Amino acid sequence: MKLELGYIDIKGIRFDDYNAIEDGVLVVDPDELVKPVLEDELIKSAHFEIATPGESIRITPVKDVIEPRVKVEGPGEIFPGMIAKVDTVGSGRTHVMRGMAVVTAGPIVGFQEGIIDMTGPGADYTPFSQLHNLVLVMEMEDSGASAHEYEKAARMAGLATAVRVGELARELEPDEIEVFETPTIAQSYSDELKDLPRVAYVMMLQSQGLLHDTYVYGVDVKRTLTTMLSATEVMDGAIVSGNCVSACDKNTTYHHLNNPVIQDLFKQHGKTLNFVGTIITNENVYLADKLRSSDWTAKLAGFLSLDAAIVSQEGFGNPDTDLILNCKKLEAQGIKTVIITDEYAGQDGKSQSLADADPAADAVVTGGNANQPIVLPPMDCVIGTLDYVDKIAGGHDGSLRPDGSIEAELQVITGATNEMGFNRLSAR
Amino acid sequence: MSKKAYIVVTNNPLVKEQLDETVGVCYFSEDSHRDLLERVRDFVHKGYRILTHPLAGSVKPWETPYRSVMITAKREEKTDLFSLEMIEQAIFALEKSKARPVTLNEKVLADFQIVDFSLIQSALPSAEAHGQH
Repeated sequence: MKLELGYIDIKGIRFDDYNAIEDGVLVVDPDELVKPVLEDELIKSAHFEIATPGESIRITPVKDVIEPRVKVEGPGEIFPGMIAKVDTVGSGRTHVMRGMAVVTAGPIVGFQEGIIDMTGPGADYTPFSQLHNLVLVMEMEDSGASAHEYEKAARMAGLATAVRVGELARELEPDEIEVFETPTIAQSYSDELKDLPRVAYVMMLQSQGLLHDTYVYGVDVKRTLTTMLSATEVMDGAIVSGNCVSACDKNTTYHHLNNPVIQDLFKQHGKTLNFVGTIITNENVYLADKLRSSDWTAKLAGFLSLDAAIVSQEGFGNPDTDLILNCKKLEAQGIKTVIITDEYAGQDGKSQSLADADPAADAVVTGGNANQPIVLPPMDCVIGTLDYVDKIAGGHDGSLRPDGSIEAELQVITGATNEMGFNRLSAR
Repeated sequence: MSKKAYIVVTNNPLVKEQLDETVGVCYFSEDSHRDLLERVRDFVHKGYRILTHPLAGSVKPWETPYRSVMITAKREEKTDLFSLEMIEQAIFALEKSKARPVTLNEKVLADFQIVDFSLIQSALPSAEAHGQH
């Protein structure tokens, strides 16, 4: 499957009474853009705000981060099965509004989390501080609807807004074009590739119910078997986040669209390795599901005759068991396996990092210790509300100090210990 | 007693309220999160097997006082070592964070009940579909 990504660089966002992209600046009419959001009767109020890199702004509680894209050639539309009709995406050409994101913010449950600081020490820990953010702040109607329904309303509003914004890039000439092509099985044995190690990416997706779900082509991943897709499908929004919790190590929709493991495997494809496929698998609560899904991961890896695999996790806790099961079963087939995870090693970093472990997991990349304490200084402006800061994961009663600063753990920062390795900080 | 092949051991009042009529629920209202996990370990020692992972997914164990674990309804003669390893790991994970503050805000507690219920609810279709637990 061959996909061209045409990047339209966005250098700023401003409000006006029309929608356009002018000299790299996104111009939006916030009143017009918010109208379809408010058509959902579960959403009581909604408005847009702009957050620019370097500004003294704190966005919280963040639900999702979404990069606007539009398909300009080839079958399907962005976010198939969610916003668009189901059709196989991942080929043709897609325009990407690079350098910006639609961020959804607003409370869904009382301990929800997610902070993006646009400046200061917190900004170093989130990649989204470097983006021009169009923030959709929503408040839900107190109508007795379930938290599930609120999550869905917020998720759909964010995705639909990103699609409407992405549409503005349809007719523009990209600043840069990148081409990604996945091989068929037969092509993976071509003369140029056959002597390189056969490597696949195993992407684990959160799938545990309210606040922990992921959707592939509109299907709730907990109801699926481990399967394969083309890495280019992910770039067209085949996978979207329905995940609200664990800000530091949830994969937002932005992470899926810009998956760094996929990007790096493409960069090395045909040079140091042969990127033969992408396997997606779930992280269910039910133990038999964990055993079955990891069996299928190993089985599909066997079908692909892999030499090596890279496994990325999402979240922590019982998904650690899925991670270790996948690793053990791949290694048992002689497939060299690297896992990407993060750590909950206590504030001093001395406790066992994962809830599960095995000697087969001898090649581990960590996104960092989510328990690491951090003090976030007050910001001039808060987009959203600080009401939830005391309750968010990693925060605690007393996290919010009288001066507006926050004493918490890295867990509170959206994307801080991302397990795809999207992080901006590293130790060498 | 439930006619299902599984029961839910919980300290979450919402799980009792929602599942008691359709699924067997062993409800221990006074149990802390840790008490509940130790109780599940007792069940495992007696020959019951764990059917859902005893750790929450991405909700910090020290944050929530609620836990629900699905186990087999029928006791077997031997202790299942896989179940035992799971529950011991979960207790260990909770133990390492025992010094954490616990949230007591009513609204937050209600939401923790919903999320714990949602986790166990997500396992029900799998449990129903399984012939052999």
